[in-house]
Amino acid sequence: MLSRVASSLYWMSRYIERSDGMLRMLKINYASSQDTIQTFTWEPVIRIFAGLRDDHEIAALGNDSRSVLKYMVLDRENPNSILNIITLARENARGVQELISKDLWQCLNEYYHTVRSPGIAFMLEKDDPITALDTLIKQGMLYYGTLEITMERGEGRGFINIGKFLERGIQSVDILDTKFGSIDDNPNLLTDTSYWKHLLLSLGGYEIYLKTYRQGFEAENVLEQVVLNNDFPRSVIYSVNHIQRYFDRLKHESNMPEFRDLSFLIGRLQSSIKYSSVKSIRQDGLHDYLTNIRSELFKIGDALNQHYFAYS
Amino acid sequence: MQESAYFSSYTPTPNTWDEMFGADAQIRDHYQKVIRYLGNESIEELNKKEDLAKRLFMSQGITFTVYNSGEGIEKIFPFDIIPRIITGDEWAFVEKGIKQRLEVLNLFLKDVYSNQFIIKDGIVPADIIYSCPHFLREMHNVKVPYDIYVHVAGIDLIRDYDGTFYVLEDNLRTPSGVSYMLENREITKRLFPDLLPQCGVRSVTEYPNILYKNLLSLSPRQIPNPTIVLLSPGIYNSAYFEHTTLARLMGVELVEGRDLVVDNHKVYMKTTTGLQQVDVIYRRVDDEFLDPLVFNPSSVLGVAGIMGAYRKGNVAIVNAIGNGVADDKAIYTYVPEMIRYYLNEEPILKNVPTYQLGNPDEAEYVFGNLNKMVVKRTNGSGGYGMLMGHAATQQEMDEYKAEIIKNPRDFIAQPTISLSAAPCYMQGQLTPRRIDLRPYALVGPDGIEIVPGGLTRVALREGSLVVNSSQGGGSKDTWVLI
Repeated sequence: MLSRVASSLYWMSRYIERSDGMLRMLKINYASSQDTIQTFTWEPVIRIFAGLRDDHEIAALGNDSRSVLKYMVLDRENPNSILNIITLARENARGVQELISKDLWQCLNEYYHTVRSPGIAFMLEKDDPITALDTLIKQGMLYYGTLEITMERGEGRGFINIGKFLERGIQSVDILDTKFGSIDDNPNLLTDTSYWKHLLLSLGGYEIYLKTYRQGFEAENVLEQVVLNNDFPRSVIYSVNHIQRYFDRLKHESNMPEFRDLSFLIGRLQSSIKYSSVKSIRQDGLHDYLTNIRSELFKIGDALNQHYFAYS
Repeated sequence: MQESAYFSSYTPTPNTWDEMFGADAQIRDHYQKVIRYLGNESIEELNKKEDLAKRLFMSQGITFTVYNSGEGIEKIFPFDIIPRIITGDEWAFVEKGIKQRLEVLNLFLKDVYSNQFIIKDGIVPADIIYSCPHFLREMHNVKVPYDIYVHVAGIDLIRDYDGTFYVLEDNLRTPSGVSYMLENREITKRLFPDLLPQCGVRSVTEYPNILYKNLLSLSPRQIPNPTIVLLSPGIYNSAYFEHTTLARLMGVELVEGRDLVVDNHKVYMKTTTGLQQVDVIYRRVDDEFLDPLVFNPSSVLGVAGIMGAYRKGNVAIVNAIGNGVADDKAIYTYVPEMIRYYLNEEPILKNVPTYQLGNPDEAEYVFGNLNKMVVKRTNGSGGYGMLMGHAATQQEMDEYKAEIIKNPRDFIAQPTISLSAAPCYMQGQLTPRRIDLRPYALVGPDGIEIVPGGLTRVALREGSLVVNSSQGGGSKDTWVLI
């Protein structure tokens, strides 16, 4: 497979995964903003997804749900808006059209036209934003289904899946870090059940939590589920296991040294998560623990870029 | 004859061959079935079909991008839902004519890049060839597989007032549009269920298979699975959709210049598992940009050193490099003479009479009759830089004349030919619009094959004679009947 093609597939997949996570987050947060008597704060969502680190910029966006949604979904100036990342996903797919199935291309193409349609803007600004977000989420699900049914198994799908799980792992780490970070400023949140409930809902882990833990919402249980639960598809360990699984299939005689290099990085990260527990995470400090995982995931991305995608 | 309401305002253009109406205002036999089918559809249904066609083009990404104020706007190439129909007899004639012409053009290219008998025998003047910017000395004595230079050709045909076919131009470099031939047919299948088999329309789906078979036969390495790639300038090229369609239909890799590298006179592509040797390149990048070491040094679309690999015979390139000398509009004038010279046959398809402005006598005649002429640049394409004498103002003519005098070799003139007309569906009515025809011919070691069909381009503006998509043209599905 061409290096350029592998790189495009990987990025297409990362962008779609990012948009999916973001849309679900926006939907749950919007719903929760309708369910509170205090001022709802959008700051964590903006911090996680808009790539804004500067407090002034975040403050400038304010807490008006409609304008935040518009900024996050449709703003052309926001490099991480849904509109911009779907455009990027489609541009990547466009460059590899002969490799992905025709159905998949059409699906992304329709997603792109949907995001840009006046109907979505109208619903976000004036009508029901949930309908708009649901429409977009559904386009993403169509993509996943089409990919599953029509995409040839092999190297290409390997890179698509590595991109997907890398993005997902990074997202889960970011969400946890931000959400637990807020507790330092406001310790009351630690016992606020609706705070944890919304975190789980936005990760699609609410039902699995109810089935696993019977004694209500507790921070430690949430942490355990989102980092260490092997059966929760958005947990950090699940993502890393899948990166490992799809990377193993890329083994090829002609580039063994590069393969070993990356395999080492992935294996090291996998063990460090596998052999940790809520208790040990608490001892190390959650923030440091998550920061380390994030930087290891970034290293894997860099190594892929260097060994598999580079044009040299 | 008033079989359908859509005709109430259909007035055939005077002095023009109408593809649907005969001289006595009767619908020609081959259009009968379609007209009857349309007669049973209401305006609402036809409008719905028109919408469906637009939606299908859009959702499949069959679009080109217009860059305006920093943001790309996606547009579809206008499509008219009424097919253009060609009878089996007309097609047999066209097919024979194109085969004859292509055989000769290939012979000419081989000759002009080796012994140059045609110059020595005084058939084509040396200065016309040597002054052509597409005549590449780098190609002299390069041996190409099976002596085939033109593998893919899109020869543009038009019909005069009496229905005679004329060759308007030979496109022998990187002719485009074939994906529209294929996609227009797919759309028609959706718009008019059952109509195609009822009318006995011949299929065009074999095109990518024939092209693939030909590419395969050119591999310099005799190995079971040679690597064939389609070289595209990338996603910003206006024909990018076509490149992806062809790559997908043939199952070959779509590459860009930056994916390829030349080492020791061999071409490789950069893959996730190291370098892989490339045997055949179907390139959609112009000669000029193909190799920065030999041609345009600032090109980033090409591959440094590819010309060296080609000269060594380590890679096959389709179409061959340097074909521009054979489809130059000044050399076009000599094609009938070439046919007589190489084959000792009379040309089947006629040339449009053409005046060389490099020739003082002919130039004087053209300047005296500029309002009846179409003047073109010999190396232009896409309908740019043309002067349509009948529609130009005195000032435009004067300015153009000044341009010509600077460099007369670069211009030719042709009398205005009034392109045939075909019915188009516009705002609930059928109205005649001018059309041309570009069939796609494939040349391989087994001979010349032309899929029965082609691209019919339409001048959508009333009265316009320019069908180029860059000048407000659209297209139609093209039916060849059995």
